[in-house]
Amino acid sequence: MRRPAYSSGLRLFILALILTFIRPAPLLVTPGPPQTVETQHPILGVHTRLTDEVEEWKVKHSLELVRQMGAPWIVEFFPWAYYAAADGGYAWGHPDMVVGHAAAQGLTIIARLGLTPDWARPPDTPLTYLDKSAYGDFAAYAAAFAARYRGQVDYLIIGNEPNLSYEWGYRLTTPADYVALLQVVYTAVKAANPDMQVLAGALAPTLEPAGSPWGLNDLIYLQGMYDAGAAAYFDGLAVHAYGLTFPPEAEPGPDILNFRRVELVRQVMEANGDAAKAIYITETGWNDHPRWTLAVRPAQRIQYTLAALEYAETNWPFVRMMAIWAFRFPAPQKSYMDYYTLVTPEFVKKPIYDALQAFAQETSPAAPTTMNENPGSAGVSPAGADGTSALPFLKEQ
Amino acid sequence: MQKSLRVLCVSVVLLLLWVGCNGRAQTWPRIQQEGVLRVGLDPTYPPFEVDAGGELTGLDVDLARAIGADLGLDVAFSYFGYDGLYDALATGQVDALLSALVVDPARTKDFAYSDPYFNAGLILLTRQAETAIAAMPDLAGRTLAVELGAQSHVEALAWSRKLVGLVVQPHTTPEEAVTAVLAGAADAALMDGVNGRLLLRDTPGLTLAAEAVTVEPYALVVRAADGDLLRQLNDSLARLRASGELAAITARWLSPTSQERLHE
Repeated sequence: MRRPAYSSGLRLFILALILTFIRPAPLLVTPGPPQTVETQHPILGVHTRLTDEVEEWKVKHSLELVRQMGAPWIVEFFPWAYYAAADGGYAWGHPDMVVGHAAAQGLTIIARLGLTPDWARPPDTPLTYLDKSAYGDFAAYAAAFAARYRGQVDYLIIGNEPNLSYEWGYRLTTPADYVALLQVVYTAVKAANPDMQVLAGALAPTLEPAGSPWGLNDLIYLQGMYDAGAAAYFDGLAVHAYGLTFPPEAEPGPDILNFRRVELVRQVMEANGDAAKAIYITETGWNDHPRWTLAVRPAQRIQYTLAALEYAETNWPFVRMMAIWAFRFPAPQKSYMDYYTLVTPEFVKKPIYDALQAFAQETSPAAPTTMNENPGSAGVSPAGADGTSALPFLKEQ
Repeated sequence: MQKSLRVLCVSVVLLLLWVGCNGRAQTWPRIQQEGVLRVGLDPTYPPFEVDAGGELTGLDVDLARAIGADLGLDVAFSYFGYDGLYDALATGQVDALLSALVVDPARTKDFAYSDPYFNAGLILLTRQAETAIAAMPDLAGRTLAVELGAQSHVEALAWSRKLVGLVVQPHTTPEEAVTAVLAGAADAALMDGVNGRLLLRDTPGLTLAAEAVTVEPYALVVRAADGDLLRQLNDSLARLRASGELAAITARWLSPTSQERLHE
């Protein structure tokens, strides 16, 4: 004999009701009490990548680890395309979460803005394509961002590596076009939040000559920016400073890409009477991928990174902060990019994190207890096979 | 009106099916017709692929040629930067990638990976006289040499939280780590599969522990729609594996793994 259909439905309803009540409550993640960053090196920063991090506890934990490492600065990306709707509405939920947690950890935020929503660009163009006709829309987003996070975010970077064609929508990149963008955005941001510091750039180090389809030499590009009247439309300059295979002390040269290329960028600023402005290195670091030809060995990466921070502190009073690219990715990239990070997607701290933490706290990164996390083991000093120190760079500290 | 709509719908479905099937079947028939398999790689990674003075050599190069010979095809190599490999494949500039690429599940919407042909994951190296270490759990109470800051160092620290008495001994280079093993200052060295096998090949007195510690499979890559080509490549790899040619190619450039030895 068949039971009435409503009987099965009733059972399902009761089951669903029971499951609703026995389901564990969602994880409550709150920013917690205000923290402060303890560091001996206030220049130290990291470029976080929380844009695509969905789970709030991971956002919070990432920022806790940044603070615990002793980095007072973060650079984070807040894409226009993610948050702005065609009708003028904004979805502030995720940026509110990131900014709130960063502020609770006592971190200073440099917000990078970019990526054009599809409604603001022609069909079949990439996210990095920003037409002049949409400058006003982008400026409106930047102004809304600046107003909303007044007191929590004090720095904005307008775009990213505009001197590379793929960051300029796979078009020929020109300084004049970027300065026209700066002018519109700067004016709107300052009207919304006069305290906001607007950073230009961040320029990508490259040797591409004028007319190259790939980009334009950053030194030439910067001079072009000044020639187009950029000085009035930015408060500081963001640059990227990668060491590639060179040590941080390697001499700079116009035909070389290395860490000290920043000094050549500075010369351009000074030559244009803009020495009062600071430089913010919003991406820096070395890569230790085992196959990439522009990578170094992992021990060299640690050595060079610490030496670069010391070099900048000692020799570059015009540099306000240095953000190491990148703190952590939400998921493995399965490429050389994974070898720039300080923490794995699973929150495993790499030895370079420990070294930077020790550096920030002025303790010896060579201490055996930091190199061996097994509390039951005696630990050993890092040593070469001949018994001499395998970490000569650590003696210098 | 309804009949016209039905006809239109059926036509659209048939058109989509034709386009879909035609798209999927295009690559392999074209390869057969032209007799050429176009392979993309980044020739900057010895011993897998390197261009020295115009001469392209390496494990991947030999493997591509072996696959070509097995399938009755010539192989045409094209060079791309590491970042541009997948774009080159997506835009049809090559038929397949063979460039020490790690299987990436996040890319499988657009690309398909062959069966793995090499595991570049971490391996354990010990002295030849050492017989008690076959896997990481055997290192309790032992000393493990690693390269400072490398993935092996991260992995070793994770194991040190699980194994009582495991001492992690960082060295600035992989060479120093294996020298410590040979000198008796460490019981084993944990290395990435490529560096480790190169050291194994070039350093007398070392041996490979039986088990791989982690898995990082290298595979060929094709466009997700090229199922026929993928099947051909997998069948070819299977034949090369069964004949021992894959192991021979691997051994030519790197020391053979224990599994490859067993196979031989």
